Amino acid sequence: MSLQAVLPDTISGLLGLEGVLGDVVGGLVGAFLVANIMLIMTAFAGPWAKRKITAAFGDRIAVNRIGPFGLLTIVTDAVRLLSKELIVPEGVDRPAWDLAPMVIPFSALLGFAVIPMGNGIQLADPETGLAFAFAAASIASLGIVMTGYASNNKFSLIGALRAVAANIAYEIPLVITAASVVIFAGSLRMSEIVAVQAEPLLSVAGVTIPTWFAFVNPFAFALFVIANLAEVGRNPFDIPEAPTEIVAGYQTEYSSVYFVLIYLGEFIHIFLGGAIAATLFLGGPAGPVLPGFVWFTIKIWAFFLFTQWARSAVPRLRVDQFLEIGWKGMLVLSFANLVLTAIIVGVIA
Amino acid sequence: MSLEEQQSDEPAELESGVSRGDELADLLGDLVVGREEHMNAPGLVIRPDEVQDALFKLRDEAGFDHLSCVTAQEYEDRYESIYHLTKFDDRTDEVSVVVPTSKDNPVSQSAEPVFRTADWHEREAYDLVGIQYEDHPDLRRILLPDTWQGHPLGLDYDQDRPQIATLREHANPLEEDHRAAGDSNTMYINIGPHHPATHGVLHVETVVDGEQVVDLDADIGYLHRCEEQMCQQGTYRHQIMPYPDRWDYISAGLLNEWAYARTAEDLADIDVPEYAQIIRTMGAELCRIASHMIALGTFALDVYGDFTAIFMYAMRDREIVQNILEDLTGQRMMFNYFRLGGVVWDLPEPREEFFEKVRDFLDGLPQALEEYHDMITSNEILQARTVGTGVLPPEVAKSYGATGPVARGSGIDYDLRRDDSYGYYDELDWDVVVEDGCDNFSRLLVRMREVEESAKIIQQCVDLLEDWPEDERNIQANVPRTLKPEEDTEIYRAVEGAKGELGIYIRADGTDKPARFKIRSPCFSNLQTLPEMSEGEYIPDMIASLGSLDIVLGEVDR
Amino acid sequence: MSSEQKPFVTDDTQVQTETRDARMAGADDRFNSKLREAFGSSPFILTKFDKFMNWVRGSSMFMLQFGIACCSIEMMHTYAIKHDLDRFAAGVPRASPRQADVIIVPGTIVSKFAPRMKRVYDQMPEPKFVVGMGSCTISGGPFQEGYNVIKGAEEVIPVDIHIPGCPPRPEALIYGIAKLQERIANGESSPVTVKPYELEQFGDLESDEIVDKLAAQIDEDDLVMRYNWADSP
Ligand code: SF4
Repeated sequence: MSLQAVLPDTISGLLGLEGVLGDVVGGLVGAFLVANIMLIMTAFAGPWAKRKITAAFGDRIAVNRIGPFGLLTIVTDAVRLLSKELIVPEGVDRPAWDLAPMVIPFSALLGFAVIPMGNGIQLADPETGLAFAFAAASIASLGIVMTGYASNNKFSLIGALRAVAANIAYEIPLVITAASVVIFAGSLRMSEIVAVQAEPLLSVAGVTIPTWFAFVNPFAFALFVIANLAEVGRNPFDIPEAPTEIVAGYQTEYSSVYFVLIYLGEFIHIFLGGAIAATLFLGGPAGPVLPGFVWFTIKIWAFFLFTQWARSAVPRLRVDQFLEIGWKGMLVLSFANLVLTAIIVGVIA
Repeated sequence: MSLEEQQSDEPAELESGVSRGDELADLLGDLVVGREEHMNAPGLVIRPDEVQDALFKLRDEAGFDHLSCVTAQEYEDRYESIYHLTKFDDRTDEVSVVVPTSKDNPVSQSAEPVFRTADWHEREAYDLVGIQYEDHPDLRRILLPDTWQGHPLGLDYDQDRPQIATLREHANPLEEDHRAAGDSNTMYINIGPHHPATHGVLHVETVVDGEQVVDLDADIGYLHRCEEQMCQQGTYRHQIMPYPDRWDYISAGLLNEWAYARTAEDLADIDVPEYAQIIRTMGAELCRIASHMIALGTFALDVYGDFTAIFMYAMRDREIVQNILEDLTGQRMMFNYFRLGGVVWDLPEPREEFFEKVRDFLDGLPQALEEYHDMITSNEILQARTVGTGVLPPEVAKSYGATGPVARGSGIDYDLRRDDSYGYYDELDWDVVVEDGCDNFSRLLVRMREVEESAKIIQQCVDLLEDWPEDERNIQANVPRTLKPEEDTEIYRAVEGAKGELGIYIRADGTDKPARFKIRSPCFSNLQTLPEMSEGEYIPDMIASLGSLDIVLGEVDR
Repeated sequence: MSSEQKPFVTDDTQVQTETRDARMAGADDRFNSKLREAFGSSPFILTKFDKFMNWVRGSSMFMLQFGIACCSIEMMHTYAIKHDLDRFAAGVPRASPRQADVIIVPGTIVSKFAPRMKRVYDQMPEPKFVVGMGSCTISGGPFQEGYNVIKGAEEVIPVDIHIPGCPPRPEALIYGIAKLQERIANGESSPVTVKPYELEQFGDLESDEIVDKLAAQIDEDDLVMRYNWADSP
C-alpha cells in the first residue's frame, strides 16, 4: 500500500470518474501534468539558467537584454531552434536517426513517473519503483547509441561508443549504491524509501535531523552523486559530448527540432538524476516549513547547480582514466559499501 | 652607452667569425667548394649532392645541433638553399651552409636524415620556391593546395593564372577510406580545419584505433597569407613593420616586430638608443604575458572542454595587459609600434598614470597566478591528464628544432634573450625557466613561471624608465628616410618570440625592398613534434598536446 | 583592374555582371516560410507571425565556434569577460555547424581554406547569417595582394554584415552583431549574391590549360573551387 494516493487517483477522484475511465483519464492528465512540470523546468534550465550559472562562474553576466533578466531568451531560443531548417544529412540511417532524439528525452521523462515529488504528485508507486527509475533512465543511452551510429559521422560514433562505455561502467556502481539504500529501507517502493527517511535520526538543540540516508551514510551518498554525474555525462565525466575533442559528440549532426529534443533530454536526464538522488538520499520532498513540492524542486535544482559547477571548474577525464575509475574504483567501493551496509543492517536488525 | 657598445661589438664578432669560418672550412675539407660571408655567420658553399655529409660532420664533429632555418631562394642564375645552423648550447656560434643548384635541374640532397626538422622546411622550400630535395621522405606541397600550379616565390611566377583547389571527401566515413588497406581496425578521422580544438585552421589527419591515435599527419597551409611575399614587396623603413604583428597574432605583436627590427637594424647598421630599448623590452614582455595567458586559457579550454571559468579569468588578465599596451601603442593587438632605430612614440602622458597602471597590474599578478595554480596546476584531475602525456624527449625536441617554452619544458636550457642577448635583457635580473618533465604539464608550468619572470623584467624596466632623466629620452635614432642596404648582404637574426625562436633572413639587393625575406617561425618547427608526442596516445591527449604546443596558425603558415 | 591586357582573364565581364545583377535584384528567399508560399498573399495573422519570427531570430542566436586568424582573438575577447556578447543572447558558441545560426568569419581566407569554409557554411541550417569580421573578409585586407588570398569572404559565401577594422575592436564586433540583430528583427536581409567561386565537380569545369593539366590528379567527381585571380576585384 502506498502511503499517499498517487496523482492519477487523486485526479480521477476530483473529476468524480471511476473504473477504467477514471484510470485512463487520471493517468493521462497526471502524466501530462508531470511531464509539463519537468519540461518547464528544463526550459528554464537549458537556454537560461545554464547560461546564467556558467556566466556567474566566469565573471560574466550573460543574457540580460531580452525580457527581464533575459528571461524571454527562453521563448526566443525555443522558437528559433524549432523554426530552423531540419537538415537530414545524406547517408543517415533512418528511422533510427529520427527515433533517437525522441528516445532520449522520453526515456528520462518516463523515469519521473515513479518519483514522489511531494504534495501527492506521483504518477505511480509500484513495488519496483526504484528499479523502474533506473531502467527508464538508462534507456537514454540506447538513444545515444542510435544517434551515434545512425548519424553517419565518426565523431558521433566515437561519442556514442564513449556513452555506452560510460553507461556500463557507471550504471553498476550507481545501482549497487542504491541497493545499499534499499537494504536500509527494506523496500524498492519509492514512497516507502521516502517514508523511512522521515523518521528522526537525532535531535540537536531542538532541531531534529531526519534519517536522510545522506546523513546516515554520507559515503554512499558521495559515491552515488559521482556515479550520477557520470551517468548524466557532466564534467569531469562529460566524455560522450567532449566538445574540444570530438566536436559535439553524438549530437554533432542534429539540427533544429531534433537538436532541441536531444538537448531537452540531456537536461531532463540531469533532473532525473537529481530526483533519484533526492529521493534516495535527501528524503525526497521532505523539508521544513515549505511545501514538499518546493523542497523537491530545490533539491533537484541543487543537483543541477552542482553539475554546472563541476562543468565550470573541473577538467575532463580522459576516456581510459574515466573507465578505470569506474571499474577499478567505483565498482569496488560500491560493493564494499553494500557489504558494509548489509552487515550493519543485519547486526542491528 | 653599454648597448651601443654591444652593437658596435658586432663587427668584431664577425671578425672572429671569419676565423671561425676557416676553422669550419678546414673541418669539412673538400666538401667546401666556396665561401660566403653573411652578416651573422660565415657561409660555406657545399655541392648539392654532399649536403648530408657536410651537415653530419658539422653536427657530430663541430656540435651544430640546431638547424634553425632553411631558406630557399631563386637568383637569376641559380637556386639556393641555405641551412642556418647553430647550437643549443651556444647560440652565437652560427654557420650558414649554402647549397646552390642549377636553374634547369634544381635538385639538392635533403637534410632530413640529419635534422628531422628539415622535413617541413624543405617541403616549404619546394612548395614556394621549387627546389627539389632528393632523398626527402615525403616531398609534397605543404602550404599550398596539392593542385597548385607554379612556385609563387620563384622569379617567373604569374600571380594571375587561375588555380584550382580541391575538397576531397571521404565518401563513406565509416568504411573504405582506411589508410592502411586491409587493416580494418583503424578509422580515419579529420580533425580540422574547422574543429574547436585546433586553435584556428589546422587540419590533423588522424588514424585512430578505437580511441588511440595510430598515425597522425598535421596538414597546414589553411592560413598561408603570403607574409613573405608581402614583406618582399614592402620598403624596409615603413611598409614591413605592420606585418610581423600578424604572424603570431596572439598579441605577441611587439615580440615579432622586434624580430624584424633587430634584423633590419643589424642589416643597415642602425643603433638604437638605450631608452628606446628599455621601452621595447617592457612592451615585449607585456606581450609575452598576454600571449602566455591565451596559451593558458586555450589549454584549459582543451582540457576542460568548454569556455570555462579559467578561460574567462585568463581573458580577464589579458584585458588588463591589452589596456596597458593600448595606452602605450594605440592599438589592442596590431601595434605597429616599433620603428627601425627605436619606437614610434614615447610613453603616454601623464607618465605617472601609466606607470601606476603597470604597477597595479604587476601587483595583482601574483594573486592571479596563485589563483591559476589553485585551479589548474594543483588540480588532481588535470595532473592526471597532463603529467606524463605528450612526452617530448630533449633529443627529439632538438632534432625537430623545437624552441621556446616547448624546448624549455623538455629541459633544454635555451632562451635567446639570454643566449644571444639583445635589447636590454642582459642588464636586467631574470631567470630562464626550465622544467624537465618533457610532458604537457611541464610546458604549462614553464609558461606560467615565465609570466612571473616577465613581470620581474617589466618591474625593472618601469623602475628604470621612471628615473630616466627627461632630456635623455631619446626614442629613435636618426635613420635615413629610405634604407638601401648594400647589394648581396645577407643576414639571419632571431629573437625569442612568445613561442620560441623567431628568426628572419633578409637578402638585400641594393633597392629599398628586400630581395628575399624569409621568416623562421617557431610554431612551424614546434608543430612538427606533434606526431612524436601523440602517436600511440589517446585522442584527448593529442588534443591536450596540441594545446600545450601553443601553436598559432598565423605563424605556422605565414 | 584593367583586365583586358592581362592573360587568364575571362574575355567578357560575365562574372562581375552576374554578381552585380544578383546583388541588385536581391533574389532572396532566406526568410520565406512554407506557410507563406501556401497562402500566397500576406494575411494579417501571417504578417504578425512573420514579425514575431523575425523578432525571435533577431533576439537569439547561436554562434559557430569558428576561428581563422588574428580577428578570432578579438572575437574570443568579445565572448569573454568584459565584453560578454552573450548579453545580447548571441554568445553561445556551438562547435557543430548544424546547431549554429551565425557564422562570424574572423580572418583571412586563403585558397586552401575557402572550399572548407564554404562547406561549413553549407552545413549550417537556414536561416543563417554571416558576419564578416575585419578587413580581410572585406577585401583581403593587408594581404590583398597575396598570391594565395581570397579577396574577401563575399567571394565565397554571402555576407550580411561587414565589420571593418584590423582587427575590429570587440565593441565594433558587438555593434555589428547588434546591427545584424536589428536588421533581422526588421525583416531586412542582405541579398544572396552569386559568387564567382563555387564548389563544383571537377568534371563540370570547362576544359582549359589548367584543367587539362590537373586531369590526371583530380577525379571527375571531386569537388573543386576554381580561382580566377585575374577576375578578382
Ligand atoms: S583583418 Fe587584420 S586582424 Fe583581422 S584577420 Fe585580417 S589581418 Fe588579421
